[in-house]
Amino acid sequence: MPLNARTITDEELFYGHKACPGCGGALVVRQALKVLGPHAIAALPAGCMSATGFNFPQLAFGNNAMITPFASTAAVLSGIEAGLRAQGAKPEDCTVVGFAGDGGTADIGLQALSGAIDRNDDILYICYDNEAYMNTGIQRSSLTPYGASTTTTPASKREHGSITHKKSLFDIVCAHELPYAATASIGYMNDLLRKVETARNIAGTRFLHIMAPCPVGWGFPSKDLMSVAKEAVDTGLWYLAEYEGPTVSGVPGGRFKLNRNPRAFAPIAGYLQRQKRFSADDAADIEAIERARDERWEMMRSRWA
Amino acid sequence: MTEVIWHARGGQGAFTAARCLGAAATLSAGAHALAFPTFGPERRGAPMCAYTKISHAPIGDRSAVQRADIVVYLDETLLHDGWESELAPGGIMLLNTSHATDDARIIGLDADAISANILGRPIPNTAFLGAIAAVSDAVALEDIHAGIKATMSERLQEKNLKIASAAYEALTSCNGRTTGERKANAREGNNAASEAFAQALSHAKARPEGRFTPQLHSTFSADPSQFARSTCFTAGHLVSENAGWRSVKPVLDPDACTMCLSCYMSCPDGTIYKMCNDAGAATALGIDYGFCKGCGVCAEVCPAHCIAMIPEEDAEVRA
Repeated sequence: MPLNARTITDEELFYGHKACPGCGGALVVRQALKVLGPHAIAALPAGCMSATGFNFPQLAFGNNAMITPFASTAAVLSGIEAGLRAQGAKPEDCTVVGFAGDGGTADIGLQALSGAIDRNDDILYICYDNEAYMNTGIQRSSLTPYGASTTTTPASKREHGSITHKKSLFDIVCAHELPYAATASIGYMNDLLRKVETARNIAGTRFLHIMAPCPVGWGFPSKDLMSVAKEAVDTGLWYLAEYEGPTVSGVPGGRFKLNRNPRAFAPIAGYLQRQKRFSADDAADIEAIERARDERWEMMRSRWA
Repeated sequence: MTEVIWHARGGQGAFTAARCLGAAATLSAGAHALAFPTFGPERRGAPMCAYTKISHAPIGDRSAVQRADIVVYLDETLLHDGWESELAPGGIMLLNTSHATDDARIIGLDADAISANILGRPIPNTAFLGAIAAVSDAVALEDIHAGIKATMSERLQEKNLKIASAAYEALTSCNGRTTGERKANAREGNNAASEAFAQALSHAKARPEGRFTPQLHSTFSADPSQFARSTCFTAGHLVSENAGWRSVKPVLDPDACTMCLSCYMSCPDGTIYKMCNDAGAATALGIDYGFCKGCGVCAEVCPAHCIAMIPEEDAEVRA
């Protein structure tokens, strides 16, 4: 039976956290833990979810959870998993799961993630992507999209925000030929739940890259969280894809799948205009964003669809 | 030494104002000053504090202010019993409110209306800089102007200067001739003035219209330990609620609810829960107001438009 609003557990495992109202990252952690269950063991590096989930002497996690050094989410996950096995203390339904932001994954934690995949440790790594270092006050990461203003790429007369495009973390991870990787968005919740469930049931290193809008950092009213998340996918600026490695799919090099391949995209101008971070972007910027999107989709459609 | 405590929500600009006040005292009035916020996971909407200390001698004590000469509340909903314990002898409280107060220690100022009139949206912080100049001898309005010019970008300066001046005028408009008299008047006879001012400006405060007439159901009392079952509770954790973050609250119309569960799936805080009948089937939805932060995501995703966000103060009246 597919996981949805009716079949998912009513138990809340991420509750009472101090994230900003309307936080996309908090929704990722909440829903993922509902799928993984109370025996999941979570590790979180410095970032929004560790700053808001652990408030000594309180803990917002209903399962075991710990904070790791910034660069070592995946290494700590490896250690937890190996330690549980060595002690013979790993429950059957225990998923060792990491929740790291885009900066903690694509910039600072990339080496540790690559190492864990290389060893194929039995862990699930979830990157909640809010497209900048939000916890420290909105600094650019390598997953910040082109044209987005941050405190380290401020919009000015000359530049209108980030001058680099979003790095393709999904491609980097899949190049390791790990058992399972997927992208998702809180705007397509059932797809997200299915992917967390799929990842839960596969052994070896699994990776999920989940788009999680940030009302404060992106500059939109908190009530618009879900429609902004959905629009990011509908405009083609984010994509829903899956990768099954050679060991799972039996295909040399692994098998890619585009879960959503629309005939036409929603116009991006409206999506950009409703977010303050893009407010300095002009027609040339929008064209550059559109061109990059079209090139990306041409690649994905020719190879994955 | 003049000490100020600023109470606000993350995003209201309390630290900006605290720093600007310190700059005003040092740059223009030649005093020494310290300004700093509390540290912790302060988030947009979360209650926070900032402090300003002003003295003619260098300031050695860098700790948080316990009892202040002036306590500022940028948000009325943060005010709780026991607030007077933060007042030093003779201290006063400056409150952002559109209501009149009968407590001589409280000076009301409708800073939301003043800033909304000038800026187009309510950002109350700089109004209180003008208010402090009106009630305290530590800084004059000219010093505040110098502080705003020194700490704010040119784009923001002009309107914030106007806001500070308007707040200053609002509190000193009762017949004082000299600065000293005006300050004294502002401290003592201010409530009549601020009441008249509040009335004049109250129309500027727009109230969001609900999509239906919300009714509060007292049966929606939540016990998170019933559904957020976890080790947190056995460890005695999760006792600090998040409700203080909220200025609007979601109210659900159970008759219009179709139980589609969109809100349940979208709540970042998991505060919407299913209420089940004896057979275990979910028949209605409840909201845990202890942990709801009032983000409004549930009302926005509801296809039946049966959740309304209503101001906290209205909700109290209805309940």
